[in-house]
Amino acid sequence: MTRLFVEGWAPEYGASIEPDENLRAAEGSVDVEVEQRPWEPIPGVDDGIPKVAFVDGVRRIDARLVLDEPTGPIPGICGSYAVGAVLWDRVECRSEVIEATTTRLAVLAGGHVPELPVLDYGLTFDGISVADDDPASLVRAFHDAMRRAEAHLAEELAQGGYFVVADGPLYEYTETDKMGYVKSHRRAYLPPEQAPLLGELGASQRTPLFAIGEGRYRRFSWYLRLVDRAGGHSWSGIARCEASAGLGTEVAARLADRSAAVLPLVASEGHIDPRAPQNLVPIAALEKDLRHGLGDAGLVLRALRKAMGAAA
Amino acid sequence: MTDAVGRVLGSEHTSTREFRVAIGEDHYLQLDDLVVVETQVPGRGQVNTYGVVTEVEAVYEGASFESDTFRIAEQGSMPGAAVRSARVSVTRVDPELWVAPNPGGLVERATGEARDKALYTDEMSRPLPVGLARDGLPVFVDLDFFDGRKGGHMSVSGISGVATKTSFALFFLRMLTGRSDIVGDAGKNLRVLVFNVKGEDLLWLDKPNKDFSEGDAEKWRVLGVDPSPFPSVSLWAPPRPRSGDVAVPDTAGRQDVAVFAWTPREFIDEGLLPFVFTDASDTRNQILFVAERVEAQLRRYAVDVAGVPGAVVLRDPAEGHGPGSLVTPNRGERVIETLSDLVDALEEFLDPNDGEPDQRWTGRVQPGTVSAFMRRLVAAVIRLGHLIRAGESRRIDRSAAQVTVVGIQSLHDLGQRFVVGALLREAFAEKEKSGQRFPLSVVVLDELNKYAPRDGQSPIKDMLIDIAQRGRSLGVLLVGAQQTASRVAPEVLENAAIRVTGRLDAAEAERPEYGWMLPSTRARARLLKPGTMVISQPAIPVPLVVDFPFPPWATRKEEVAEGDDPFEGL
Repeated sequence: MTRLFVEGWAPEYGASIEPDENLRAAEGSVDVEVEQRPWEPIPGVDDGIPKVAFVDGVRRIDARLVLDEPTGPIPGICGSYAVGAVLWDRVECRSEVIEATTTRLAVLAGGHVPELPVLDYGLTFDGISVADDDPASLVRAFHDAMRRAEAHLAEELAQGGYFVVADGPLYEYTETDKMGYVKSHRRAYLPPEQAPLLGELGASQRTPLFAIGEGRYRRFSWYLRLVDRAGGHSWSGIARCEASAGLGTEVAARLADRSAAVLPLVASEGHIDPRAPQNLVPIAALEKDLRHGLGDAGLVLRALRKAMGAAA
Repeated sequence: MTDAVGRVLGSEHTSTREFRVAIGEDHYLQLDDLVVVETQVPGRGQVNTYGVVTEVEAVYEGASFESDTFRIAEQGSMPGAAVRSARVSVTRVDPELWVAPNPGGLVERATGEARDKALYTDEMSRPLPVGLARDGLPVFVDLDFFDGRKGGHMSVSGISGVATKTSFALFFLRMLTGRSDIVGDAGKNLRVLVFNVKGEDLLWLDKPNKDFSEGDAEKWRVLGVDPSPFPSVSLWAPPRPRSGDVAVPDTAGRQDVAVFAWTPREFIDEGLLPFVFTDASDTRNQILFVAERVEAQLRRYAVDVAGVPGAVVLRDPAEGHGPGSLVTPNRGERVIETLSDLVDALEEFLDPNDGEPDQRWTGRVQPGTVSAFMRRLVAAVIRLGHLIRAGESRRIDRSAAQVTVVGIQSLHDLGQRFVVGALLREAFAEKEKSGQRFPLSVVVLDELNKYAPRDGQSPIKDMLIDIAQRGRSLGVLLVGAQQTASRVAPEVLENAAIRVTGRLDAAEAERPEYGWMLPSTRARARLLKPGTMVISQPAIPVPLVVDFPFPPWATRKEEVAEGDDPFEGL
């Protein structure tokens, strides 16, 4: 019988990949004429939206697995992710974390579905598999599961009447009040003629919309500045947002206006968050809460080791 | 599990002394609440841990910076929930298996039987209520630790005015005299001696208080005592100085007070002379030695005078008068009717104008010491001379009523010490002679630091130490009160089985004399309201905070209820 092992190495070792980067290899052309207005800063408009939901997820690789097949070792991972949302009631001035759920997955390569023995502390890992045996696709499958859960929650909240701000690029493009919020800038989307506008943006101002992606990945995007540049470089305090192109220019522009006015209200401060101001206060708090929900990494690893040792 | 209020906090260690409780959202715990936790111990079954809440805390969970408070409470941009917790000091583990409660264990309010267990009431053979806990129910002391069976005496400390030391002592006495069902044999013919040292607060113990409300009465009923003034009180005060032959009590507010004084005969027979020399400086020289010698000589020389009760003349015993004989004074012979007369008479032996002092009276001391002795005696004439007068005996009759209040507030310090010393001596000597513990004799003495100071020697201090050490077995029980326990002779404090404090000065609370308090209790002792006391007793390992109800008796003339006016209807 083939046996499943926990790799002796700590789970942090292994392929370092950023799945989001790989997903968006080709962005195609950028259309800066979406809004058909002069290419200059646009002040945000707070339409008094009463309920805002921030959706995010965190993940952690708990252990690396090896399935001891006669044909050779089959790699796998065990990981936990948590997804949840912060509901911000702007009328009552209160926030709460909701729907925070933790999911644990065991992923094996080569089409093998892992079957994990019973674990201590009531831990359960659901088994899934990927077809190839590239270690990177293991993490990607795991990451996708989390992104799907985030997108599902975001969609549910958006349909429930919330204005949803999802951390990271959008995963699903539907026609609801939902936007993606990207805080790091690995790639400049704007062509050289339009890019200098970023430096001119003041606090709570945005760029006009521009369209990126092709076909079903087509979406509207805009940059906004959260806080005054105050001597920083032209990208400081800048976040990129995106919304589904299916919403139409008018609705997307309204979301953009709103985001430019509302998001700066929850921008974090430099002395508190190392990723200030882009790491929004509700998202930072949510991440902390979600990470807490993942449980102690040492205990999870110990439970896995013990269970697999016992199965021998 | 109906009274569950929360669970044992699991994010930090629990111990056998202390644990914390995460309080459920729909519940609360406040200071002094009693709780119980069940713990399953492998192989030994269930262990109940009882405790008392010593601190309650609340925090925003999720806030990591102080300024997050605004994000959560005002802007609402950060999620955060207020979490409340309570710190519990363990009072008891039952059965006695010293394990820490399990984290996550369900914490319940201790009520009914569990409350009795938490407070060891179930183990007390004679639980006497001494106040009300936060839940409005009585807290008890084991009387065995007051009346001498297992321990004796009580010590009450606290700042003057707000600590309500005397009020508490009286409340305790009312419990002691009112709950004969619990006190039992010890309560029969119980005699209480109370000194009123300030104002005339205690001269109204038998009068109802007009500010006493129905709510207060309810509290007294919970304690099992009829809310009424002390039923049996006799009041005593010294005579007003220079009031001539008429003995008028030296009191301002109340006149139906008996006057007490000693005759020269009683003064000599009872050996009260040393109590005139109670100043701390008197012990550094040989004055007390002279006093003792003079006292002994006086006993030998004093002869009663026919026709003047209580007066004496001093005659050499060689002249052959026996005890109890009456003589008619010779012409020119000095008849001692007052302290002043006595001083004059002694001067002839000790410091005659012509000739040497009589060494039979002075012993071999320096002439300076004799002079110092005489100087103090002369000074005493002014300060307490009016307490000694011939005539019918005006001794305080401690058997006249259950509670004897002696008002010494009008006396000079020296006079106060003299009266306290004389009465303590009398009470103690009486019990020493009988050798019986019953009937109990309780003495309430405020400003103990004045009578038994930490430093120095005095006849009163010696006697108080004696009472503290031996009184327990002789049935003389001291309820001592003082502002600062640190200034009282440690022998007196250490022998008090029950310790009580009201509000304490912050610096005083840190002194080792209050080591029996928990750190949290010490911190609280600075803030205690009048009417709230901290009580420690040998039967319970943690001090308890109790409230005692408003008294049904008056503490001032203005408080005396209308309708108690003797002239009403005239």
